[in-house]
Amino acid sequence: MEIGEEMNKKTWTARHVGVPALWMLGALLCLSGCNRETDQKTEAKAVRVSVVGASTIAPLISELAKAYEREHPGIRIEVQAGGSARGIMDVRSGTAVLGMVSRELKPEEQDLQHALIAKDGIGMIVNKSNPITGLTKEQVVGIYTGRITNWKDVGGDDSPITVVSKAEGRSTLEIFSGFFGIPYKDIRAHVIIGDNQQGIQTVAGSPAAVGYVSIGSAEYEADQGAAIRLIPLGDQIPSTAAVASGEYAISRDLNLVYKAPLTEPVQDFLAFARSNEAAAFVTRMYFIPVTK
Amino acid sequence: MRRFHVFGFDVRDFVWTFVMYGLTLTAVAMLLWPLLTVFGNGLQVLSWDFLLASPEDAGRSGGIAPILVSTLGIVLVSLTAALPLAFGVAVMLTEGFNPAGWPATILRCSLDILAGIPSVVFGLFGLSLFCRQLELGYSILAGGLTLACMILPTLARSLAFSLESAGVAHRAGGAALGLSKQSVLWHVMVPVALPGICAGVVLALTRALAETAVLLFTSGYSDRMPESVLDSGRSVSVHIYDLSTNVPGGTLNAYGSALALLLLLALLSFTVHALTRWMQRRMTGNTTRSL
Repeated sequence: MEIGEEMNKKTWTARHVGVPALWMLGALLCLSGCNRETDQKTEAKAVRVSVVGASTIAPLISELAKAYEREHPGIRIEVQAGGSARGIMDVRSGTAVLGMVSRELKPEEQDLQHALIAKDGIGMIVNKSNPITGLTKEQVVGIYTGRITNWKDVGGDDSPITVVSKAEGRSTLEIFSGFFGIPYKDIRAHVIIGDNQQGIQTVAGSPAAVGYVSIGSAEYEADQGAAIRLIPLGDQIPSTAAVASGEYAISRDLNLVYKAPLTEPVQDFLAFARSNEAAAFVTRMYFIPVTK
Repeated sequence: MRRFHVFGFDVRDFVWTFVMYGLTLTAVAMLLWPLLTVFGNGLQVLSWDFLLASPEDAGRSGGIAPILVSTLGIVLVSLTAALPLAFGVAVMLTEGFNPAGWPATILRCSLDILAGIPSVVFGLFGLSLFCRQLELGYSILAGGLTLACMILPTLARSLAFSLESAGVAHRAGGAALGLSKQSVLWHVMVPVALPGICAGVVLALTRALAETAVLLFTSGYSDRMPESVLDSGRSVSVHIYDLSTNVPGGTLNAYGSALALLLLLALLSFTVHALTRWMQRRMTGNTTRSL
């Protein structure tokens, strides 16, 4: 046992703490040092453009970026997803050149320039087995504030309504609550979902559910056989065509924001993102190209 | 207590056996359900082409080659960074400090607290330290280092635990032979503890591979083949997340990627086990020669 005690007594000295500390400090310095070196190297190689923002738009811009890079080898467009708010923040701080924002700019965000690249409409969906033919604006407000709780009150079967709404922070929720004039805190939802796909799956799997999702993805999923149906809101019939022509009111703008002035390569990419060539990519992501 | 017998069987025994089987089956079914879903859907798309091609059309067609490369890069960076640090911490905990003293207690306590912190917090920390402060940007290096911070506490604790359970007897025996503390550690303790260390590494690997939130913040979203560790690279879990949430019609390829992730995990843990066995043979071999 003496040996064990002897070994335990040999505890830490300056050497034990100092050496690892120095090693870590060295590693950190090395990291930041080598980073600066390679930065200069890559700058000579290609112009880097960083695009940060809404995860809704990120897949679209990634595809546009790849197509653009194929024709312009000197540019490398880095797309990062992190939400509209992050896009605004990073463009303001200069971390990103372009920001993706899946809504109209707010009044306090007018210090930034924006370019509309596509639109996305939001439509009310119900399960395919639901006989309802449409809802009025007042009925939707009633359902989402908890005043109407049964489908028979709006002309449907006698079954309690399952209300599906979006999680806070989603632009779809912002647009929904803005259009119908319901503050977030007044929404009485049974299921809170994160994204369109989840919303469609939820409504497809529950016969008495009602939800709101992006029209593009709802049309696509319905074509693929998902058990959902887009329903008219009052006299407004939800369809990608109606959103494109501006007839359908609940839609959102998908914007790229930036701080003027832009460098020439970035301006060129921005022009590409709004061209007819880009419209094909927009449609493939089930968004609606902006008609000029 | 009275016992009821029917045809010579004890009823209570019978009922409890039944309950135990039921519970076991439930647990197995809970595991099998997601596995079967992933296999059933994923096998339709998984092929060599899928593993070796680049994603196209936002991941709805094409493959996941760049994403696999980025994932391996991230995991490699995080293990390279975390393993030596965790080993150092574990050695200090078991050999350096007095296990009952205050430095060891504080260290152990802070490791436990760190291990309980939600991963998003590590993501934000990595974003501000590695991406912003150290100017690494969204990169595989930044993602790997952030993951290293995240797995460090669990890894250090499991390494310390396996070193501890190697026992006093081995240590005292080594000391009785007049070996220095370093050679007892290297030639006796580490080989004995290797299986435990290996299990710890595999656990850390699993946590790292499953991580989405941290990597979305730090290693980013780019699905291109990374040219260096300073490029942004999407990990498989981020790819699955993006396909199943932001890309309409991406579900099938999401399942394919999930299956690829499962296979990658199996392959990596098999490699770690094989490596451990090889190291154990080599290290104990060295001991006999040096003695």
